[in-house]
Amino acid sequence: MPPEVSIAGVLVPALLLVFLGCLLLMWLLDTVIGRLGLYRYAWHPPLVRLALFFCLFGAAGLLLLS
Amino acid sequence: MSAVPSNVEAAPSRQPWLAEFLASERVSWLFVFKGLLAMYLAIWLAMWLQLEKPTTTLVTVAIVMHPQSGMVLAKSFFRAVGTLAGSAFGLVLVALFPQQRELFLGTLALWVALCAGGATLYRNFMAYGFVLAGYSAAIVVLPAMTHPTQVFDSAVMRVSEVLLGIIVAGVVSDAVWPERLRAMLRRNARAQFAHFLDFARNSTGGALARGEMEQAYLRFVRAAVELENARAAVIFEDPEARARSSRMRLLNQYYMAATSSFQSVHRLINRLQRAGRTVVVDALMQLYRPISQALSPEPAGQHEPSILAPRLRACEQQQPQQIRELRATMPDDPVTLIELDTGAALLQRFTSDLRHFTEVESTLRSKRLRGHVERVSFRRGNDYAGAAVAVLRTFLTMIGLSVFWLASGWSYGPVAMLLATVFTGIMATLPNPVGAVVNAVISQGVGMAVAFVITFWILPGCDGFPTLVAGTLPFLLVGLYLQTLGGKLAPFGVGYMVGLAFTVVLSNPMVYAPATFVNTVIAQLFGYGFSAAMFIVIPSLVGTAWQRTRHMRQLRQQVVRAATEPLSDDLMHSFESISRDLFEQVVAHTRPDSHASRDLLAWALTVHDSGRALIELRQVLAGNPVPAMVATATRQAVQDVARLYDNPDAARWQQADQSLSTAIRAAAAAQTEAHVGIRRVLLRLYQLRSSLRDDESALAAYQTPAEAAHAT
Repeated sequence: MPPEVSIAGVLVPALLLVFLGCLLLMWLLDTVIGRLGLYRYAWHPPLVRLALFFCLFGAAGLLLLS
Repeated sequence: MSAVPSNVEAAPSRQPWLAEFLASERVSWLFVFKGLLAMYLAIWLAMWLQLEKPTTTLVTVAIVMHPQSGMVLAKSFFRAVGTLAGSAFGLVLVALFPQQRELFLGTLALWVALCAGGATLYRNFMAYGFVLAGYSAAIVVLPAMTHPTQVFDSAVMRVSEVLLGIIVAGVVSDAVWPERLRAMLRRNARAQFAHFLDFARNSTGGALARGEMEQAYLRFVRAAVELENARAAVIFEDPEARARSSRMRLLNQYYMAATSSFQSVHRLINRLQRAGRTVVVDALMQLYRPISQALSPEPAGQHEPSILAPRLRACEQQQPQQIRELRATMPDDPVTLIELDTGAALLQRFTSDLRHFTEVESTLRSKRLRGHVERVSFRRGNDYAGAAVAVLRTFLTMIGLSVFWLASGWSYGPVAMLLATVFTGIMATLPNPVGAVVNAVISQGVGMAVAFVITFWILPGCDGFPTLVAGTLPFLLVGLYLQTLGGKLAPFGVGYMVGLAFTVVLSNPMVYAPATFVNTVIAQLFGYGFSAAMFIVIPSLVGTAWQRTRHMRQLRQQVVRAATEPLSDDLMHSFESISRDLFEQVVAHTRPDSHASRDLLAWALTVHDSGRALIELRQVLAGNPVPAMVATATRQAVQDVARLYDNPDAARWQQADQSLSTAIRAAAAAQTEAHVGIRRVLLRLYQLRSSLRDDESALAAYQTPAEAAHAT
């Protein structure tokens, strides 16, 4: 993936698109986990959510843009 | 729910006040700490990312911060949506009218005005999103007006700054020792459940004093609307709550249904008692007793839905048998039997609603959510006249400021316009906007003075981020702590923080310009003053007698809707939620125990009772084949009741009463053909007429005694 993507003539950093994609993915994951009630097993659910998002975004960013 | 070690519970000490004081201080200082952390993190990131105005980020954090993380996330979400929508509109505006300043400012004023109108229609955080959509459009285009080519960069900068602030505030408040809103929602929902069940259990006597019933009903309605509001914020905080969101709405729906049928039963029993029908009243009380017994297991399980639900189900199954037995003991007189059957039908309805309510509550309390996702919505009732006035006022404010700006060539005109945008939008939803603006000007003025001190005495001495933190910390700390104190100090704290964050000069690169600073502050105060003046010229409708009258009329119109709108599964629920939402809005602005409040309560009870009976009647009529004569008479009666509620007067009351009587006679005559549908129609008609003839209801003023005398 190139570092910048042109959308309708505007150069958008590809990282931003990855970020938005990860948000969407995270939302889906979050819904599934919430529905299954798995967050009950975590000590600090918001921290787990945050960490999960960091893992997703870090992995996607590094794999797609390096 | 969260496994976080729940608060540091102070050990039982000999000074309970000390423990209490420490517990509340702990919450306050936690909020102060989180606020400071979020603010400095936001400033640091904004500086590091080379954003133009780190102040915007600071303002965002200052506005969004709230002790409860669900509130922060809900506010943030709507702020983000509002900012994106507003900036997009700003770009479109510049693209459309880069050269015509009249069209440009006119369209901008219209957009801001429409956003302010939208804000008055939504009484939760969505209102905030609307205000922000107007404000963001202004903040993007106004500074760029002189250089239209830079508007895109300006939009990108503003959006980045705001979103950065939102992300930082959201992450800090959710991840660092969060105060969960969900715990509060759960506590409230349980208290509400327990309160209603206790009330239902203890009113076995059937005869509740009218005042007691009204107070209880007021509480039920408030609880229903509050639960919906809390639910709307909690879903942002907790994915598990989001998964349960529709189930919670369903719970609320059954709650509303159960409270409605509960009050209908009691109204009927009260009426019968006043009419001296002791035989029927005793029979109905006998029928009520099993419900009360089903609600009274051992004390430990009294509020445990998983224990109560099966007991209620058993009670519901035995009811038809009990009714048959009771009927056999009754004197064989058609009037007595109709009265008994009407009451019995209402009681059966109440039992079934109550059972649904406890069943849903029991699934919500179980660890894993089972079953499919329901589609339920909570409809709001709105008064569009209030919104129209807000639109007009905001439009005139913006136009007035634009004209002043263009005519005077004042170079700080955009600043004044910007501040007026925020104020006319946010304050339009408050009952006393002028007072609120004055308070805000005082608190923000103090904040601005402090910002002056910071900008020109402290910041010049800072040579890095640590010294900036050290220099500004005391000022921010005071503002955040004030917000936790409650009472009049909390809004003062918010105003102080916003004023400070708005005016303190933190920019990339830093500038030192006292003249610009003072000019900006003058323009801001001018913007406030102008919007306050506009609130005096075009007063707010919120909480006025005029709006109350309109709301009351809308409440009555709900009965008309119940009688005329096409039947659908949703009609009943939309009736229940809209009428409660309207009721709650009026209640919020009437003093308890005032004449207006009692009047309102009487109307609300009547409306809920009759509207529900009308919808049920229409459903029975649509679902069962009945002779044409009965159907025509019933439809006529439905129309006449609707006309009565549309515009109540004595003639219409008489008309409605007559056609109900005609329909009852027709149904009673046709009933000999042994038909279930007709009996049901007859009972609903009877309920409607008895509610119409209730001499303690809101309709009592229109009753003509001669008619009421020859009852049945």
